[in-house]
Amino acid sequence: MKKIALIIDDNENNLLLEKDLLEVAGFEVYVAENASLGISLAIEKLPHIIIMDMRLPDMRGSEAAKVLLAKPETHHIPIVFVTASVLAEGIEEIKAIPNAVFIGKPINTRTFAKEVAQFMK
Amino acid sequence: MDQDLRVVSVSRSFYEVFKVRPDQTVGQLIYDLGNKQWDIPKLRELLENILPQQASFDNYEVEHDFATIGRRIMLLNARQIQRVLGKERIILLAIEDITERREIETGLVRAHDELEALATELTRTARAKSEFLANMSHELRTPLNSINGFSEVLFDETFGPLNDKQRKYVSNVLTSGKHLLALINQILDMAKVEAGKMKLALSSLPLRGILDEITMLVTDLALKKKIVLKLEIADDLPDIEADELKVREIVYNLLSNAVKFTPIGGEIGMRAKSKGAAIEVEVWDTGVGIAAENMERIFEGFFRVDTPYSRLTEGTGLGLPLARKMVELHGGKLSIESKGLDKGTLVKFTLPMLAPRES
Repeated sequence: MKKIALIIDDNENNLLLEKDLLEVAGFEVYVAENASLGISLAIEKLPHIIIMDMRLPDMRGSEAAKVLLAKPETHHIPIVFVTASVLAEGIEEIKAIPNAVFIGKPINTRTFAKEVAQFMK
Repeated sequence: MDQDLRVVSVSRSFYEVFKVRPDQTVGQLIYDLGNKQWDIPKLRELLENILPQQASFDNYEVEHDFATIGRRIMLLNARQIQRVLGKERIILLAIEDITERREIETGLVRAHDELEALATELTRTARAKSEFLANMSHELRTPLNSINGFSEVLFDETFGPLNDKQRKYVSNVLTSGKHLLALINQILDMAKVEAGKMKLALSSLPLRGILDEITMLVTDLALKKKIVLKLEIADDLPDIEADELKVREIVYNLLSNAVKFTPIGGEIGMRAKSKGAAIEVEVWDTGVGIAAENMERIFEGFFRVDTPYSRLTEGTGLGLPLARKMVELHGGKLSIESKGLDKGTLVKFTLPMLAPRES
């Protein structure tokens, strides 16, 4: 069965690059440009993993994660935050969310899909 | 003065300072001196009200505008003395002209206030600068990460083969993109150091191992230029307390500079030993060296000596200044020596075995 990934990012280029890398690695990929679209798509497609930017136009990625955690159908889905702000406070914010990890920007195109796959277990 | 406040005797300096003659002074009522110029209300109060009650006063400040010598500030001290014989009293009045001293003091206070205002302004400017740099580098990195990411995928031929020309061009895009990213990161690091925001993540470091590892990283670069690499690392080099990433960056910057600025067939090397409570590391080369007039400028940032090598070698010009800042952050010192152009370079730095505690 094909692994399903959902990417939520308002930067088109990030979205396209990450989608390409995951598709090459055999994922079925859905994308959303903001958190609300992403949340409804998550409920509809029930992805195996969600890749999310921390800064989204309608809310912070961490808030979107809380919404997903509160819903029984999505609360188990692991979330990978792709974030440039690898500052102490940003890391604390992610650590506070169960089932979430982060990958620092810039992503390594040669290892990105592998890293994402690792977090699915 | 006698008890009626008539002048009995006056020191010579009084005549000099107040520009009066003895015959205008002795025997006169003090208030009448110099055409009644001394009829100063505050002086009257001192002599007539305060002195009779307490027999002395000290450091009374009186400011008065004299017709002959202008506005003066005086410090008055007085003693009332009973003569041994008889009941007469005499009054000793010492007058100190503190006009200049007061002007200097006022000037100092003003200068101090101005300096404080300037310091506040400088702090504000420095903060604005580092905030600007932090924001700017984020804004620059986002599109740059896209450029690098896409060109890396192209270069890896993930979506199909490229011809030679395409592969070469996309490789150039990638190289330039990575260079630009390194620059932005180093500028951000410089800004952080200057704003005092770069913190050390201290741990106990096996320095010997780290020096060996970094040497491995530059060995390839050195081999390409047929440069001989000589290592003299003391066997008993102790572990030190330091920030591992920063120590790696310092050593890498210095060693890669040595390779960059040494012509084909030259030699470079590293020596490391403990010296007192610190480790001393020297990175040397037989390369292009540094002219005496450029010795300080190389720490300014973006200063690249225009030699055939600097055009061949890609660099940011920030590696050395950043290395020095990071050494200093650890409480060490970094210095550079060169006997001149084409005479090679020696960079020496120390790192204390125990990092300084943050105050």
